[in-house]
Amino acid sequence: MENLLRYAEKLFDEVEIAVYRSREVSANVELNEISMASTRSGAVTVIRGIKDKRLGLAIVDSDEPAKVNEAIEQAAKMARLNGRDEKWASLPEPGKYREKPKPNYELKEASPDILVEKLVHGIKLAREKDPNAVVAGGAGGVSWEERHIVNSHGIDVFQEGGASYMYLELVGRKGNVVTPGIFDFDARRDLNLDVEGIVERAVRKVKWAYSVKASKNEEVPVILGPWAIAGLLSYALLPAFSGERLVKETTPLAGKVGEKIASEVLTVYDDPFHPLSIEPVIADGEGVPTRKNVLIENGTFRGFVWDNYWGKVYGTESTGNGKRDMRSGGINIGFHNVVIENGKRSLEDLIGDIKRGYFVDGFQGAHSSNPDNGNFAVTANPAFLIEDGEVVGSSVFLIAGNVYELLKQASEVAKEQTVMPFMTSMTVPYVKFEDVKIAGK
Amino acid sequence: MEELERALRWADENLKAEYIELRYEDLRKTTLGLKDGVFTSFTGKLHRGVAIRVLADGAWGFASTSELTNLEKKIEEAYKLAKAAAETKKEKIQLAEIKPVQDSVKSRMRVKPREVDIEEKVNHLRELEKLLKEDEAVKSVQIRYEDGGGKKLLLTNEGARIEWDYNYLYQGTYVTGKANGKLAMARDSIGSVDYGWELMTEREPNDKVAERLLRKMQGQLRGVAPKRGEWPIVAGPIVVGIIAHEALGHLAEADLTINSPFKDLIGKQIAPEYVTMSERYVDGGFGNDKYDDEGVPVKDIHIIENGILKEIMLNREYAAKWGMEPNGHARAESYLYPPIIRMRNTVFEPGDHSFEELIEDIKFGYYVVDFRGGQAQLNSAFQVGIQEGYVIRNGEIAEPIRDTSITGVAIEALKKISAVGKDFGLEVGFCGKGQTAFVSSGGPHMRFDGGILIG
Repeated sequence: MENLLRYAEKLFDEVEIAVYRSREVSANVELNEISMASTRSGAVTVIRGIKDKRLGLAIVDSDEPAKVNEAIEQAAKMARLNGRDEKWASLPEPGKYREKPKPNYELKEASPDILVEKLVHGIKLAREKDPNAVVAGGAGGVSWEERHIVNSHGIDVFQEGGASYMYLELVGRKGNVVTPGIFDFDARRDLNLDVEGIVERAVRKVKWAYSVKASKNEEVPVILGPWAIAGLLSYALLPAFSGERLVKETTPLAGKVGEKIASEVLTVYDDPFHPLSIEPVIADGEGVPTRKNVLIENGTFRGFVWDNYWGKVYGTESTGNGKRDMRSGGINIGFHNVVIENGKRSLEDLIGDIKRGYFVDGFQGAHSSNPDNGNFAVTANPAFLIEDGEVVGSSVFLIAGNVYELLKQASEVAKEQTVMPFMTSMTVPYVKFEDVKIAGK
Repeated sequence: MEELERALRWADENLKAEYIELRYEDLRKTTLGLKDGVFTSFTGKLHRGVAIRVLADGAWGFASTSELTNLEKKIEEAYKLAKAAAETKKEKIQLAEIKPVQDSVKSRMRVKPREVDIEEKVNHLRELEKLLKEDEAVKSVQIRYEDGGGKKLLLTNEGARIEWDYNYLYQGTYVTGKANGKLAMARDSIGSVDYGWELMTEREPNDKVAERLLRKMQGQLRGVAPKRGEWPIVAGPIVVGIIAHEALGHLAEADLTINSPFKDLIGKQIAPEYVTMSERYVDGGFGNDKYDDEGVPVKDIHIIENGILKEIMLNREYAAKWGMEPNGHARAESYLYPPIIRMRNTVFEPGDHSFEELIEDIKFGYYVVDFRGGQAQLNSAFQVGIQEGYVIRNGEIAEPIRDTSITGVAIEALKKISAVGKDFGLEVGFCGKGQTAFVSSGGPHMRFDGGILIG
């Protein structure tokens, strides 16, 4: 690395080299059987260099010095061709890092046999518990990644770690009813995937889905599950916390720091070191130390998140939220692990309180939300009707509204939290909202 | 490429595999990201590696690597993975027979993107940004451009050897506008695998793209919320296309058909006889190709023909399972992934109504033109965000609507199609099914009398 950096420094005013080495083993399920076992290994090196305020980037699928040298030259060529960015200040300086978490090397050497075994066990269990259910799909995987980032200002951070995941998709067929695909999953930093838990939760939802109930237009309490919340907030809310959007005046949160934007029961922060986080990084994509950043505290908006570039443009510092975009090699503002703080009572207790309302497992169409104003229009599916404190069947309905209005309607947060490793990585409990307007079908 | 052929020969002689496939890629890509005057990505990419897929004892093993040394060992690793997966497998995977092809696929591009100076690409994006920012309501413009080109090679132990001169280009543009305290967002995408730089200069020049984007953005800024309900809806080619793709196309992907309502509907009338939906070659289609990633020639199929559910998309594995002929729908995003069943260009075929005929007797309804995000379930329930739409009042297009969505169950909505337009339009995009694929979707204007809920 040292030699590569020295070489790159000759071509740029400042430069950053990031090497990602990864290994992933996985196994897939199709129709009650393992369909494929896979492994993927390799290295990717990203060069980000600046010459005369001109940015150049290069990505190469290798960590061999000869190939990296070629990428450095490619980045230099790109920088020569790029225009000057007058707003460019500098790459980040080293900071004070937290102690690295101890990597679980068991994950580095994981064999696909373990995954095959767990998946087969999950399929068998699901079929035993519900003979009408088909395990339509699923997968289990273990990934391991080593990241080394250096820059010409002295940043030199090496991090390694891994995670495992498993999900199953069940479809139930009973009489004329074909349930929608019902998912459940687990993700963690060791190999103790909770197969029984995944199956139990999925089978329970399939059972609910066999009894189809019509929905109608009404205003009712609605409990949103982790998957539904993560989907909706990833698209409708989280982009609004980006400092870049503050600079560009495209966030509805501009000028609202310290103001109440949500119900008091909601506290939201980004924290890679939360116990459930599957990526406890000490440095972000450009080597800046990560930290816990509070976004909403008891309903009050606390502040924006920044990467090095936009932080400097605005005259503040990076909050450690620079995330590498592996498609372009550049850095964007993003999150490590957005946590919604959990409450005291269980999901069962929350359901038990509801005379008539719904529990929503997933939203369709959350990605069509408008982050510029928080408007959304989504279909709740799968959703489950609650009557007199019990789930009595499944339903489908529309919710159209504004995420900031919805946040004010939150009345209670459950104690169970689930890590959602998709889209923006989030750690989310079940949240109950009052008087939600739904449109029945 | 000798090392690939040597490794394949070795594996064929030394491993007891039913099928071995090597897919090599060596591509150079350029990514340009222009965000409000600044190129935040200005990237050259060297993307090279090999995908190895082995069928042994009726199960698949897959290995992907960017290290091209010691390929024999990597093939053996995939073989061992297949054996591990096979141990628990009752139903052994078989592949439909094909005639192995040896071919070299030439690019149809007139001007390949890699032959165009980067200065020209930069100027092109800057010009588009300038055109958009001439509208005072525009607050933010983001343009993502990517092109790639190079070699793809498929080798199998059955004797297939296909080499592609593979090229593509894509441009996605996002505009945020603000007026009277309201914010609105609009997006646009263009791309091709058959048209080169001529796409940007002749077929989709900047002024055309800018005009489209500003119309969508302005419509939303001025738009009113629609009245929620089941009104007559006329859907334009782009919206018709997303319904074809999301709500119906996925159900016709053989691996998904098995768990979808389509399973029991093949051969049955599911739509009026004037409705035909195809998966086929389209001029400018982003999913066009001569062969798929298993070396099977790509064929045009009718998923729905004159209202009858006819054909589904297959790879070799599912073709064997269903006792059908494979039709070229096995696609992989890159050497990092195994091929899976994917759409290419999914379109409704034109009928014989003019646009005026479609709307003339609608007293009150909606005309939905373009979407932002769409999603569907395997029961064909769909949700499509609408970014451009208008009220239809007394047979005429009236005021625009804003931030809304349409939902329905496609196999129910199909029955409510009351007229099919004679025009045709197409949009390119990406489809995510664990991997990203270049796809197009489209069709004519179509009228639905019920079956779709707006608001």
